[in-house]
Amino acid sequence: MMNTRREVLMFAGGSAVGVLFTPAPWRLITDTALWSENWPGIPAPARGEIRARYTNCSLCAAGCAVRARCVGDQPVQLTGVTSHPLSHGALCPFGLAGHHLPYLPSRVKQGSAKEAAAAVAEAIAKCGPAEHVVTLDLRPARTASWTYRRAMAAVRNGRYVATSGDADIAVDLSQARTVLSFGVPVLDGWGTPGNVNAARSGFRLIQIEAVESRTASMADQWLRIRPGSEDALAQALAGQTTLSAAADATGLTVPEIAGLMTLLEQNGPVLVLGSSRLASGGRTVIARREAPVPAEWQKAAPVTALASLPDRSVRVLLIDESAPDGYVPWNIIEKKLVADSAVVVALAWSREGYARHANFVLPVGVYPEVADDIPPALDSVAATFRLASPLVAAPVGIVKPEQFVATAAGLSIADTLRERADAIHKSARGTLLTYADAKSQALKEVTADAFWKALNAGGCWIDAADEKAPVAKLTVATAEAAPNEQSDLPLAVVLSRELAPGSPILSKVYQESNLRLAPNRVALHPSCGIEDGSPADFATLLGKCRVAVTLDAAVPPGVVQVSTSPAVLDLCAAGARAKVVRV
Amino acid sequence: MTIDVDRCNGCGACMVACGIENNVPPAHEGATDRKGLTWIRVYKVDNGEEYPNRRTAFVPVMCQHCGNETPCVHVCPQQAVDIDPATGVVGEMPQRCLGCRYCMAACPYHARYFNWWDPAWPAGMEKTLNPGVTPRMRGVVEKCNLCHGRWHAAKEAAAAAGKPDTEPVDYLPACAEACPTGAIHFGDLNDPESAPAQAATKPESFRLLEKLGTEPKIYYRSKKDWVRTIAAAPRPGAGKENGRG
Amino acid sequence: MALGAGWLAFPRVIYRSRPQPVNFSHKVHADKAGVKCEDCHAFRDDGTFAGAPSLDKCAGCHAAPMGTTAAEKNFIDEYVTPNREPQWSAYARQPENVSFSHSAHVKRAKMACETCHGNTGATDSLRPFQVDRISGYTRDIWRVPNTPHGMKMADCVACHHQKGLEHSCLDCHK
Repeated sequence: MMNTRREVLMFAGGSAVGVLFTPAPWRLITDTALWSENWPGIPAPARGEIRARYTNCSLCAAGCAVRARCVGDQPVQLTGVTSHPLSHGALCPFGLAGHHLPYLPSRVKQGSAKEAAAAVAEAIAKCGPAEHVVTLDLRPARTASWTYRRAMAAVRNGRYVATSGDADIAVDLSQARTVLSFGVPVLDGWGTPGNVNAARSGFRLIQIEAVESRTASMADQWLRIRPGSEDALAQALAGQTTLSAAADATGLTVPEIAGLMTLLEQNGPVLVLGSSRLASGGRTVIARREAPVPAEWQKAAPVTALASLPDRSVRVLLIDESAPDGYVPWNIIEKKLVADSAVVVALAWSREGYARHANFVLPVGVYPEVADDIPPALDSVAATFRLASPLVAAPVGIVKPEQFVATAAGLSIADTLRERADAIHKSARGTLLTYADAKSQALKEVTADAFWKALNAGGCWIDAADEKAPVAKLTVATAEAAPNEQSDLPLAVVLSRELAPGSPILSKVYQESNLRLAPNRVALHPSCGIEDGSPADFATLLGKCRVAVTLDAAVPPGVVQVSTSPAVLDLCAAGARAKVVRV
Repeated sequence: MTIDVDRCNGCGACMVACGIENNVPPAHEGATDRKGLTWIRVYKVDNGEEYPNRRTAFVPVMCQHCGNETPCVHVCPQQAVDIDPATGVVGEMPQRCLGCRYCMAACPYHARYFNWWDPAWPAGMEKTLNPGVTPRMRGVVEKCNLCHGRWHAAKEAAAAAGKPDTEPVDYLPACAEACPTGAIHFGDLNDPESAPAQAATKPESFRLLEKLGTEPKIYYRSKKDWVRTIAAAPRPGAGKENGRG
Repeated sequence: MALGAGWLAFPRVIYRSRPQPVNFSHKVHADKAGVKCEDCHAFRDDGTFAGAPSLDKCAGCHAAPMGTTAAEKNFIDEYVTPNREPQWSAYARQPENVSFSHSAHVKRAKMACETCHGNTGATDSLRPFQVDRISGYTRDIWRVPNTPHGMKMADCVACHHQKGLEHSCLDCHK
């Protein structure tokens, strides 16, 4: 039939016209358009029943109450619990994205616990009489902290080192009429944000700071001083030097300092943050008794300060970085280690901290995967006991830091959180607040089992008020402890607190806007001569790292503001000097 | 909606909560503050003075849901944006958008954002996506719609409870819920008892770029005169105020 | 020939077909067990619609065989006993960008299930699930069997228009 070209062409033409009268081509166009709208690369959110689950946020010691909106059992969104008397339903940007942390690309996924345990055991056996086995606890005053103290008591030459010593001291913001802050970010991450906001209208805030931080811009008064001159001002206010000496050091005028002194005298009680040279007035800083602890645990090693350990005396160092509330720069730790084959084990979930330095890195669970208790916040007048209860399953192969340290020390432990809860229950004091129904009841009306269940389902135990708590003093590990570095590097370093690493969604405030200073960025005054966003090397006496530069008029000339990620803290502490060179 | 600029401390919680609620992806590595996706963005403004007279404030800006001659609705060649007569919300339909970005040019508040890249979440993080909001592909414009996913859920609950369709539903957008200082309040402007309606009548309330006549629905509040001056945006060079975000 | 290909062969080719995991008979459950639509296809407390029932709803009655069919025995052996959820395919599954509220249509507007879904209750077996190879949409989007309409936007808009309920795009899109 089709033996001429003409017939073939007629057939093709006829078919083409014919096909237009069928649904085929029109449908193919529609389908292609639909396909192009739903390409496979775009993930479709999972569907399921929406449930609410409750926990406490363990990203910092505030431990704000959290309500997780879950699809099935998977949290998709976090928000605060308005009935909580301290956090008032507030969550900070880091806490809001906490449910992303299990999926961070920089997460530690592998590490052989067996190998690490063997190395630790060998090193403990080899320990000389003047050498120590140390557990460094980056969030002291937890139940796990007690386990570490008991473990270190069980090991010969064991020492328990904790980062801050203020576990049994509380700040009562409601008692302060004036807050004098030496660079402490009172309105931007100090204490429990919800509590600070609620108490804000009750006090005048005077911020003494070199840069115009968020707190400085919101304070009632901001006094700009030269970086590193906080202590000089404190000395003048304490009457230990002359006003003119302080004026010379800080760059303030004598009338300004005199005015400040008068204001403080007339508007007490004054809460002083960031300097221990001045005592806080009234009952703004008081002692706080700890939540009850099982009696058998009292046989525990005391808290040792890192500085009190002799140099080159630590043979084994176990670092619990599972819930870090701070980072001790590595050069400070390194000089305490013995020169030959010290064993350092970092129990961490992030590769950005001590994982960069340790011999062994063991993966641990991250919020919200694992159960851990959160010590009371600094601004919580009463002791609290609350759990960050697991909302998602932890990956296979993670190590429980408490178990690892206990095994290494030969201490056998059971469910320590349950034991602690039972000890608290036995004391029969305080109230239990459950988040799901916003109910508060006296602890003695609840059975031990019900107490444990309530804590795990999202709740908080709050101690009874202690009217007779004595006035106390805050210890401060800040600029005044480290003298200002004397070097010819041109820029003074000022730290800006960020919880690193955080969820990638924080790019909203770090990269897609200029609102917060990202962990890999430094801020300089626009007169520095470097273009905004350019790469540069940030160098101090201890080393250098690659950063990007942000221009910010809030940072005065001669100062560089850096954010507190471990990589940067390894290079400098407050009081350090640096230079930034465009690359 | 009403925003108290004097309370905003620039923490960025609203920006993060908005991104989580609306399945906004984390930044691509090439993204900058010009190419980012920040449905709500907090800008830092100052009065242009040097210390000690320098004053700073933080102003969160999202789609202002213009009520009069809504610029983006007018210019869209695809009719991918419309204004809901019942709620006053200006809704963007990324599914209809062809990516011409005319609306971005038309918006006087720079509150519309373009997907320069396909969204990408780190492995496993797609489990945390919110089923109430559809993720967008690259090449489309997106913007704040006052958390319509939450509005749908509230309407569904109201229907289940037997409430009539005409009754306005009670819900909070993610930014208002997340703000730790309580700077953002949300309510029915037509209801004289609601916080936004009352705030709108106070003398220290203002709206951004009021002289353009767009009738935005976001009322800001500040006792500081210089903030109000910035919001009215006199001609460049008239004042010393600076804004950056 | 093109016409034949277009009208007859193309529909067969464009859809990919798969059977449902269990050969379920709506008719048997409606007649013999006296079950109504909402007994299994239920609403949750917050007003959201649960869709196809999960295993525990079926296992509530079918822990042991209630009839004599091979399909039931198969179901018990493969799903109830090992506690495995059957992976049902939803004929009416809407695209990702649609937000459809069953509460508004069933509870407020008091529509009958059959109006949109056809007379599924009278069917004795589940028809195979057909999905478009290119776009991934189900065949029901174009035409729901035994009804004069499909589940495309135009079909929803037609009814809304008739009842004077059209407001704005974001009423139904998310």
